Amino acid sequence: MTERITRLNTMATQLRRDVVNCIYHAGDGHPGPCMSIIDILTALYFDVMRLDSNDPKWNKRDRFILSKGHACPALYAALARKGYINPAELKTLRALGSRLQGHPVPKDTPGVEATSGSLGHGLSQGCGMAIAARRRGDDCLVFVLTGDGELNEGIIWEAAMTIPKYKLTNLIAIIDNNGIQSGGKVDVISNLYPLREKWEGFGWYVVDLDGHNMKEITLALEKAAKRGRASREEREGMEIVSNQAPPLPDQPIIFIASTIKGKGIPYMEGNNAWHKRVPTDEEHQIAMEILGGLDLE
Amino acid sequence: MQGLDTLAEKDDRIMLVCADSLLAMRATDFVQKYPDRYVEVGIAEQNAAATSAGLAIEGLIPFFATYAGFITMRACEQIRTFIAYPNLNVKMAGVNGGIAAGEREGVTHQFFEDIGILRTIANITILVPADADQARQATIAAAGIPGPVYIRLGSGRDPVVFEKNSPFIPFKINIMQKNGNDIALFGNGVLLPRLIKASKILSDKGIGVTLVEVHTVKPLDIEGITKVLKDCGAAVTAEDHNIIGGLGSAIMETAAENYPVPIERIGLRDKFPSSGLPDELLDYYEMSVNDIVKAAQKAITRKNSTKK
Repeated sequence: MTERITRLNTMATQLRRDVVNCIYHAGDGHPGPCMSIIDILTALYFDVMRLDSNDPKWNKRDRFILSKGHACPALYAALARKGYINPAELKTLRALGSRLQGHPVPKDTPGVEATSGSLGHGLSQGCGMAIAARRRGDDCLVFVLTGDGELNEGIIWEAAMTIPKYKLTNLIAIIDNNGIQSGGKVDVISNLYPLREKWEGFGWYVVDLDGHNMKEITLALEKAAKRGRASREEREGMEIVSNQAPPLPDQPIIFIASTIKGKGIPYMEGNNAWHKRVPTDEEHQIAMEILGGLDLE
Repeated sequence: MQGLDTLAEKDDRIMLVCADSLLAMRATDFVQKYPDRYVEVGIAEQNAAATSAGLAIEGLIPFFATYAGFITMRACEQIRTFIAYPNLNVKMAGVNGGIAAGEREGVTHQFFEDIGILRTIANITILVPADADQARQATIAAAGIPGPVYIRLGSGRDPVVFEKNSPFIPFKINIMQKNGNDIALFGNGVLLPRLIKASKILSDKGIGVTLVEVHTVKPLDIEGITKVLKDCGAAVTAEDHNIIGGLGSAIMETAAENYPVPIERIGLRDKFPSSGLPDELLDYYEMSVNDIVKAAQKAITRKNSTKK
């Protein structure tokens, strides 16, 4: 493993620790849905995205939308470790007057780009943001991370039609396919699968991804980002993964990331009781021992 | 969507977002002139609202334009959570506001709950211009008001109330006539011509009328309205909207908190209307000139009986 991947994995572990601490101190939150996206978030914030935490409104920054807003402790942790907010502020999650509201809103939290929490809205907002970036002529990218459960929402498929229509190759979508939504398995709750064929049918270029393999995530997302900033001519024949023919130059990309709800903390992994639950003192202690890293100071 | 090209000429942040509503909004000229300012998402109002939010996050000024009810009902949550909550600069223009504007289409295209719905959502300015030229001016004014603005529009065939280029000044009530202070008539939109006729009939009977246009339903000009209520001591409200939740409710709230006087409401009386011709509909659903006159007389009688 290269030093870079080791560094990113260490950061991912730190963010997992921060999420557990954040939810433990707040006494409320959704730990399971956070854990499945941590590796992807780490890759985005600490490797792939072009950001300047000293200038959160920098025009040329890449944008990130957490469409599954209930996993915001993970986003807040990434923002804290990236330098947008003080890690100690994570303890104020969900408190009266906190900048870290129960679900994100881009009012006064630096680094939060869009409102989310009512599910299904990341792609549409990202669509507007990507159109605006095109109009400005900026080569910045819009990353949208959705849950799999939230693909039940009709508005997702409305946006799934509009984004390819506008050839928004500067928007990169990622599905956190952890297989479990609030009420149970995604294939039991509604008829979600097959996912690949659905998105392909709407005109997207679909890439499968191991959402917990840092090397694979960074490699694929870096290529997608490079393509997203490229001209149409340059995009011609640009490969994303070696086992798949390259996307057509105007196709937007969506990653289907296989993930595990609760990943990284054995007692949470695949156990949907942790969709929304606060660790007890003992559970908190166990998590701290597994994870290592810094506390919220 | 008159006024939009005037805005677009001066301000390259102006965008039009449609949900296959370009023809309904009569905005084809705009799109011919500014093809790259037009975002068409198809018959998908929720997507249109959330895409507008995305454009506004990036500093553009989108006008999301389609039928009043598809904006305020189909995309209600998107407006509330993704536009109003982060206080984004999205302008919404809804046609077929009221039963008269929806006319022959029937209830699916007659929207008489829009103002009541939006009035309960914080941060939204609600404008109800009276006729086409006022709508043009309201559109231009909306671009200058920070945050979300809803412009309630009629059918485009609505009667002309004001002379062309009469000023449209948001936020303030517009005192159109002051022939006396026996009764205040508050109204907006397509009912204004009827209020003008009712005012004439009342004046002929020796009743002094103060006729007030309230084109900004939110934020309400509480000071201006309270002043008129104090002066007249009785009022009628008139709007092409359900009597619950719209202008009548807003003025009654203001009166109850500031200066309670007898008030009678003219509007759709909490029922679903039929298809029909605009004037025929307004007459049938108790929004006729005669209904307004009777309501005024009733309010004055109540005022006089309270005095004793």
